[in-house]
Amino acid sequence: MGFDRRAFLKIAAGASAGIMVTPVPWKLLDDVSIWSQNWSWIPVPARGASTYAEVFSKMDPFGVPMKIRKVGGLPVRVLPLPEHPLGGGLSPLSIAEVQMLYSPGRLRRPLLRGADGKLTEISWPQASKKLQDELKNAGGKAAFISGDETSSVTEVLSAFANALGSEDMYLMPSEAQSAAKAAELMGIDARLGYDIEQSDHLLAVGANILENWGTVLRNRRVFANSRPHSFRKDGGEETGDSLSLVYAGPVQNNTAAVAGAWLPVYPGTEGILALGMANMLIEAGKTVAARDFEEFKALASAYTPEKTAELTGVDGKKLEAEVARLLTAQKPLLIVGSSAGGGAGPIMAGVAVNALLGNINKPGGLVLLPKAAKVLKGASDLAEIYRNDLIKFFEREEKPALLLIHEANPAFALPNAQACAAALKAVPFKVCFSTFMDETAALCDLILPLGMGLERLDDVETPYGSGKIGYCISTAVGRPDAGVLNTANVILNIARRLGKDLGFELYADILKAKAGLYGKGGDPLAGGFAVESAERAEAGAFSFRPEVLGKALAPDEARGKLRLAVYGRASLGTDKTGIPPYNNKTLRADELAGSLMSVLLNRATAARNNLADGDKVSLESGGGKIVARVRVFEGIINDTAGVCRGFGHTALDEFSRDKGANVMEVVRPVPEPETGLNFWAKAGVDIKKA
Amino acid sequence: MSANKHFNVKWGMAIDLDKCTGCGACMVACQAENNLAPLADASNKQRVPNWLVVYELSNKKSFPDHEIAYLPRPCQQCAEQPCATVCPVVATERNEEGGIVSQIYPRCIGCRYCMAACPYHARCFNWFDPVWPKGMEKALTPDVSTRPRGVVEKCTFCHHRFMQAKDKVRAGGGEVYVRGTDNKLHCAVPEDGYVTSCAEVCPNGAIVFGDLNNPEHRVHRLVTGNANAFRLLERLGTDTAVYYISRREWVRRLGDNYLPDEDTQKPKQILPKRH
Repeated sequence: MGFDRRAFLKIAAGASAGIMVTPVPWKLLDDVSIWSQNWSWIPVPARGASTYAEVFSKMDPFGVPMKIRKVGGLPVRVLPLPEHPLGGGLSPLSIAEVQMLYSPGRLRRPLLRGADGKLTEISWPQASKKLQDELKNAGGKAAFISGDETSSVTEVLSAFANALGSEDMYLMPSEAQSAAKAAELMGIDARLGYDIEQSDHLLAVGANILENWGTVLRNRRVFANSRPHSFRKDGGEETGDSLSLVYAGPVQNNTAAVAGAWLPVYPGTEGILALGMANMLIEAGKTVAARDFEEFKALASAYTPEKTAELTGVDGKKLEAEVARLLTAQKPLLIVGSSAGGGAGPIMAGVAVNALLGNINKPGGLVLLPKAAKVLKGASDLAEIYRNDLIKFFEREEKPALLLIHEANPAFALPNAQACAAALKAVPFKVCFSTFMDETAALCDLILPLGMGLERLDDVETPYGSGKIGYCISTAVGRPDAGVLNTANVILNIARRLGKDLGFELYADILKAKAGLYGKGGDPLAGGFAVESAERAEAGAFSFRPEVLGKALAPDEARGKLRLAVYGRASLGTDKTGIPPYNNKTLRADELAGSLMSVLLNRATAARNNLADGDKVSLESGGGKIVARVRVFEGIINDTAGVCRGFGHTALDEFSRDKGANVMEVVRPVPEPETGLNFWAKAGVDIKKA
Repeated sequence: MSANKHFNVKWGMAIDLDKCTGCGACMVACQAENNLAPLADASNKQRVPNWLVVYELSNKKSFPDHEIAYLPRPCQQCAEQPCATVCPVVATERNEEGGIVSQIYPRCIGCRYCMAACPYHARCFNWFDPVWPKGMEKALTPDVSTRPRGVVEKCTFCHHRFMQAKDKVRAGGGEVYVRGTDNKLHCAVPEDGYVTSCAEVCPNGAIVFGDLNNPEHRVHRLVTGNANAFRLLERLGTDTAVYYISRREWVRRLGDNYLPDEDTQKPKQILPKRH
């Protein structure tokens, strides 16, 4: 039997029918499509049961409670915790915390710098012994810097510094420090807080309250709740905003984007704006029963609307309109602030305006919060620590024998960053407790890996800007890396071995004692501990201190061709974290192109300086220089260059390095007259094509 | 290949541009929830996989009359999908109650026709295999598979959360779809039982998610008869499920290519319904 045409057709027809019936080819096709995408080098998510833990972010300084989803015991996601007093959604930094547990910039083991300058891994007992010996030798010549003003670790360091006889205990410069100085100068024995929940008109001057000032999540929750979604029928608009928001500042930032109005003012003139408003309020009949009110009135009278408009750049009519709104609102509130470096003077002027509005310790007003509770023997009050100016410390000729830094990155974050790094290098022995290999850690002789907030027991006491006292304890979730320890426990252990009695041997006991002071039953270390209190401090008899205000806010000469407005973005992380891995995708192409960041100039300013959009320029000041690309942006006041801080890391990991330049290299601090603080809100720069 | 289908449930969003501050929290949450890999250099935006992008809008006026707004752009989940109609392998379709446009990675052959067709630039292509820094793969969520290079991906309205919410209803012994007071079928998942990750984390409450067809859902009430609500490129007739709300007229005008003196309210559609 031959294979003829008929046989061929039969086989072909049979095969076709068979293929249609059998699932084999379809299964093979399916398998090909699946297996061609199923490579061993592409990770497969692990499976397991989901559990949840409530914690408080220690990475985000703006008050972020959160819920951690764990799968198979390992944290995988950060979720919001809206039921917490400071809760709402999440910040772009806090969402990334779980991923940052595995950031390439993490420190895992103690490192000691040898005589050849190289870092070598050592064990924790060796590191602890080395630190103990160095501290013993340094004694009262040891200095301490804490970058976490809300944690009891600062109290531990302060108590230890005092026990050693050291007077050099510092916190990183912050808005809370400026506010503490302002309160002290005005005779207010309390912390400043803002009851935005009950306010009906909020004027934020320089304070980017919806991005990086104060308790941001809470601020944003209040804003969200106060502004119903707009609904317009043909018959007209349905409104019902219970809080009107106005932002005054040099750059049209994230807060200005949604505020009812943006008042452009020159950077560093926020205090003058407040003083001009105070004058207009006094003219309108507002008064305060303070011993130096008449002197203050005389000072404010010099800041007429015309002069205020001239000095601040604000439109005179808009200024009048804003003062009128303050006068007609039922519960107006003024917040004066900056992202740091604004000085105490502007905040004092802000307190003065609130006093004239009669809202001190009133619902919706400026509230006075009792001081933070202390439990350690010999620890200083936060207000005392704030008196020590870190910039002056770095400028000092005489260096300490040892500098211990906890969770701070002064070599990157302080103005004149390069000079700070040079001063740091001159310290004979530098030790840091750090989670990441940041610019400061890279300069230290002994580097001690600190667990991230998710890996350690720590607390948060009333972040600055809050309207109420709050105390939260955050416990570790998941399995902490074996190589990391808590600063407080290491210091308490060394203190005990050096014979310094701080009253506690374990950090957990300190937090338990503190939780007891804030008054809530149950086990505070069981997770999710949070207490809120509406307790207020007495307003007492405060003074305006016009003799201080007059000098602190006195207009001065320009320090460069252009004024410099430094602004921030939450997604860029903090000075300590750098840019979280997921977050650099949030940067727009007009913010960062390759490694070149943008400098904002409005069209008129760019034209006056013969610059155009896209030009590569250098910004120079006091020997510092950074390079950027011009972005013509009409949301910035005239004769001002806007630069975002958070770029220009030289350490950390590939997600932060080689992206733009650190603006703090061209920012020069100057002493604020009469207040004893250094400030840098009035910085200026020269600009030219690079 | 996907035809316009009517569903009783139409998941959708109303994004209030007067509340969005452009912080980027939604973008970060989206990446963490859906297992997108981080990139060390994310400045080349044409090569950056992002399911949700926040754009800055400007009224184009000079200082001091300048205004800005921010616009988060997820997949618009069109009822008339330009993408699904061009997909040669049916890797993307709108074929399930709820009206979410799917993306089936194993089917995708990476031709990118859908990317070219999408008028919203909502789709992205994996030019490279995803790489997580060592150890970071431990933080992947178990709900979403990772994708290799060579496939297109996009926002799915966190579809896995919808599945989980339905499972929860079933586990409770209930029916997933029930008849409502309006005598129409509605999803029995409670309004807050299924929320996308971006809507969940937004501290300003700018993103409202729910069933556009359910009169009891906030999103339905926000967009029905609201002259401040608009959709992007509405006149293309894509019938998207993402609405935007703004009191500012200049923002609403940016929703489509309007002529300077053209009324934004009408006509809503200039292209034929089938295209």
